[in-house]
Amino acid sequence: MMGMESMGPRLGLLAPEMVLFAGAVLVSVIGLSRSAGMRRSVPLWCIVALVAAAFVSVETWTQERASAAQLLFPSMGSFVKPMLALVGVLLVLPGIGAIDRGVEGAIASGRQAFDALRVMRGEHYAFALFSIAGAMLLCGASDLIWLFLALELVSLPTYIMVALGRGSRKAQEAAVKYFFLGALSTALFLYGFALIYGSTGTLQIAGIRDAFAAQAAGPGIDMTGLAGLCLAILGLCFKITAVPMHFYAPDVYEGAAVHVSAFLAFVPKVAGFVALAVLLGTAGWTGHALIAADGVRVAYTGLPEPVAAVLWMSAVLTMTLGNVGALMQRSIKRTLAYSSVSHSGYMMIGLIVGAPAGINALFFYLLCYGIMTTASFAALAALERSGEEVDSFDDIAGLRVRHPAVAWMLAISAVSLVGIPPMVGFFGKLALFMAAFESGQVALVAIAVVNSAVSAWYYLRLAIVPLVAPPSARSATVVSAPSRWPAICAVVCGVGSVIVPLAASRLLQASERASEGYGAGSAVAGDESGPKGSGGLYTSRLTRP
Amino acid sequence: MTQALLAMAQDGTLPELPETLRAAPSGEIAAALLISALLMAIGVVGFLSRRNMIIMFLCTELMFQGAALAMVAFSRHHMDVSGQVFVIFILTVAAAEAALALGLVVLLHRRRETLSAEAWGELGE
Repeated sequence: MMGMESMGPRLGLLAPEMVLFAGAVLVSVIGLSRSAGMRRSVPLWCIVALVAAAFVSVETWTQERASAAQLLFPSMGSFVKPMLALVGVLLVLPGIGAIDRGVEGAIASGRQAFDALRVMRGEHYAFALFSIAGAMLLCGASDLIWLFLALELVSLPTYIMVALGRGSRKAQEAAVKYFFLGALSTALFLYGFALIYGSTGTLQIAGIRDAFAAQAAGPGIDMTGLAGLCLAILGLCFKITAVPMHFYAPDVYEGAAVHVSAFLAFVPKVAGFVALAVLLGTAGWTGHALIAADGVRVAYTGLPEPVAAVLWMSAVLTMTLGNVGALMQRSIKRTLAYSSVSHSGYMMIGLIVGAPAGINALFFYLLCYGIMTTASFAALAALERSGEEVDSFDDIAGLRVRHPAVAWMLAISAVSLVGIPPMVGFFGKLALFMAAFESGQVALVAIAVVNSAVSAWYYLRLAIVPLVAPPSARSATVVSAPSRWPAICAVVCGVGSVIVPLAASRLLQASERASEGYGAGSAVAGDESGPKGSGGLYTSRLTRP
Repeated sequence: MTQALLAMAQDGTLPELPETLRAAPSGEIAAALLISALLMAIGVVGFLSRRNMIIMFLCTELMFQGAALAMVAFSRHHMDVSGQVFVIFILTVAAAEAALALGLVVLLHRRRETLSAEAWGELGE
């Protein structure tokens, strides 16, 4: 039973989120300071909060606390939280110098007095911290209410970040699109949650797992539960930009400021995959969660058939449509958006394979993807043409002549995104495809490999155009962005995609903790004490149906 | 408390539950679920077919309320209050989303003097 005695360890596990909340409050207040120097220090405080959260998440995580919290994946946070915080630091950098640029310029030149209503650097970074904290909270979700609130905490700030990130009409159009489709997806997974609750009679994840296990041992998970799971997956597909909820991605990534697009490509995606792993974990994967029906122990035979079919089709369509879409783009940001869609398709393989190997590979891939996609977005943020973002292949033609470092980083990130050997992207794909191959998903691996080959076409264009093509008339007018931090971020991520593979085996080991303990507390139906996890703090069960 | 109640149930001395605590007849729950599914369906269809931003937003609200009604119905069916607790959170988040939606709609109206989603067409190839 989960009672007051487990409050202590759970609060301990939430320390990194609390650090981020404190950081968000601090940053939003400092952002309103009259002194320009204080306002400039906002990203610094943001980074301090993120580094502190990474440190705290490693320091406060202990096996006992994690197992006392009664989570489906007790150890997931020990990998996902530091990953979110550290990639979060990289995501802070590309926005420096871009946010509030016009207002700060006017204040510095004396054309305008300081007006607290017109500066939004503090808000922007505070929302970024809230969103990352929401993604971290998902790792500790033991309850559908928690899952829902954490998902909303991830998305609501990102809607505002899209609208505020850039003064143009495009950003507002992107924000409206993102918000409305986001609300639709929220409603869909909420209805899914309601159906899951209807099928199992509890909101607690562990209780749902037990109820599904009991149903699976008998006639199978009932239609209500299956419909609920499918609807929840459909809604969460929005967060991970998977088919059929992927179509917003190119428009939103194009319209949002480039540093916001980088954020959208990583944080909501991590959140979506964590939530999907937890939800699918309740229905179980092959070879897990031994359940006993009337004293006979039977093993799960895998995800329920309809759920597995939905995931399989979505994964194949996501990677294919993502890559085909990317082939036809002239805008770099739209290309990267379609690339983000196709990478979600690869990562969904991890969900189909399931715990432990597939989930571990999925989270390792998320880390690799975060590094390489941030490199490409940061490289774009490091450049500008007559005060506008650089966004077409013409703009970056022959970039090596005038901006050699940025050109190389763009090329490295593109090569890494294809998955060519010494780069980090290769190791991510290797881990994922190996896990799928070992679990017998040969067809899925074959489709993914063909897709990777197709993706080489547009990624190599992203590498060759800046390095080999002659400079065009447009690219001659491209200058460096006023702040050098986006370029530094691009260099860090680019170098990271080359040197992180040196630590790949250690990182893979770290990611293996993500699914450690899954299935440990699995249900034993017919246990005299009743299903574990049902009956929480606020459950008053009068009669059993 | 639970032990005492169980003992009373075994002895048959359990007092009659008040009307509000008794499991509702399944017909009532089926009706509530039907309405929740209708709300959801109307919301989805309206969201996809209407072009006025405020109507579209109201359609997402309809969907939220559909989910909330389903929660309440299932909560009654299982005699478990946690579903109703969920509804309180759904309402809170829906209010937060409403604030955001109205902010965006006002932004749109200032820029374009129209509420039609078709006024937006700058993105895309």
